[in-house]
Amino acid sequence: MGLIEFAAAKTLASSAVFLFITVLLIAATKRTVACIALFSAQCGIITAQIVAVAFLRHSGEAFAVAIIVLLVKVVAIPYVLLRIANRLKLSPNVTAATTPAQSAFIGAGLILLAFAVVQPYARAFALDSEMLAAATAIVLTGGLLMVSRRMALMQVIGLLVLENGIFLLAMSTTFGMPLVIEMGVFFDLLIWVLLMGVFIFRIRETFAHVDVSRLRRLRG
Amino acid sequence: MMLAVDSIQILLLIAVAPLLRGIVSRVKARIQNRRGASVFRPYADLWKLFRKEALVPPTASFLFRACPVVLFAATVAAAAFVPVLRSSSLLGNTGDFVLLVYLLALARFFLVLGAMDGGSSFGGMGASREALVSTLAEAPLLLGLIAIAIVSHSASIASMTQWTIARMPFELSPVHAFAFVAFAMVIIAETGRVPVDNPTTHLELTMIHEAMVLEYSGPSLALIEWAGAIKLTLMFSMLIALFVPWGIAANLSFFGILIAVVAFLLKMAVLIVLLAALESGVAKLRMYLVPEYLGVACALSVLAVVFTAFAR
Repeated sequence: MGLIEFAAAKTLASSAVFLFITVLLIAATKRTVACIALFSAQCGIITAQIVAVAFLRHSGEAFAVAIIVLLVKVVAIPYVLLRIANRLKLSPNVTAATTPAQSAFIGAGLILLAFAVVQPYARAFALDSEMLAAATAIVLTGGLLMVSRRMALMQVIGLLVLENGIFLLAMSTTFGMPLVIEMGVFFDLLIWVLLMGVFIFRIRETFAHVDVSRLRRLRG
Repeated sequence: MMLAVDSIQILLLIAVAPLLRGIVSRVKARIQNRRGASVFRPYADLWKLFRKEALVPPTASFLFRACPVVLFAATVAAAAFVPVLRSSSLLGNTGDFVLLVYLLALARFFLVLGAMDGGSSFGGMGASREALVSTLAEAPLLLGLIAIAIVSHSASIASMTQWTIARMPFELSPVHAFAFVAFAMVIIAETGRVPVDNPTTHLELTMIHEAMVLEYSGPSLALIEWAGAIKLTLMFSMLIALFVPWGIAANLSFFGILIAVVAFLLKMAVLIVLLAALESGVAKLRMYLVPEYLGVACALSVLAVVFTAFAR
């Protein structure tokens, strides 16, 4: 039993590092499929983290949350996104306002900003500053994805990444919200992704493309 | 005894290098559903090349013959700095990581020089591309190593390895994680593997390394190929020694060395399979995207250096 708890504590301690790397790679990646895969990986890391918290705090609720995250975020949402990407028949490359290297440097700057910003809070409330910084960096990167990418699908992924950050922030400060609220949020997300899928197809039907930088005028 | 182990380390690196290349192409062949050549094929190639005569273009100077020798010598000297079985190496205490990086740079410089001396237009084209890639790859490589040097408070690779061994495998610091990813990306660029350069192509417009060695033949070509193989092995060993050195022999007992050999081979096998899978799954980048790729590596290594300020 001691071994499992040891592994749980270590998972919790090192997951922030992996989250930083996924954040940076999501910001830098050029391909839609790679971006969706990285999002799925990020959610996988978060799942491992929730399981570790569940072990350390002996809480059944956290296990339930972990299972829902696994089903909804690691499997269902990426699957839906991949299907949308396939059916849109877009070029595999994401068109972005910034080049990958620029995005990576901006992402690195956001991580440092997150680190600088959370230091006083981490000290005041005796929280793990790395975890808090990772959550903040994920929120910021989600915003960056939504701003810098031109394809409508990437706005969806950006918002999902942003939501990941908010979820992580809630978990690292209060060890998670009540199960009912979490469940509500997850199903909201799933419905939201499905709705956005329909919406993106409508954009394409009306404008014959999904490039948000070209959505300037109203069309009937 | 220590000297013996150190000599074995470097001889191992030099002797095993062609085999490593053979295994990579064999695994790649298997992934692509081909049978593939024998893993000992690179040795046969080297043997064949060493027995042939070296043809020199009439316009070439003495540099053309000298460059492969300097390249091979510098690469072997660099190999003497890398810990493989124990946490030190033959020249481990005489130079630091900067010397290692610039020995490799020296080797590359002479390769470029030889390519240009050959006088063919492909040689010049490959040389200019190689110069571009290596200039861009040097920054992330050095920055990544500097980040690790800062956290481990030492500049020699041997003491960096010792510092990492003293820590738990689970205690990942962001510095090591970022430096690891940057280092892995740089290895692919430096050794000319697929997303950056294709080692098997002879298509004029896409080749970098192959374009440079097009004019070489016989023993000169053999030396260049062997040096390339040593460089791949050396970089992989560096990756293992700096980031996952656990299992390396702490004391020089027979048992400890045996464990070190097994651990090293296992880690190497994992790296080979990963490399082969990557090469089969990823398409080669366009030449204009290579600076972008290395820019991402650079961002990661800069972040690693900055994070040393936060490291516990």
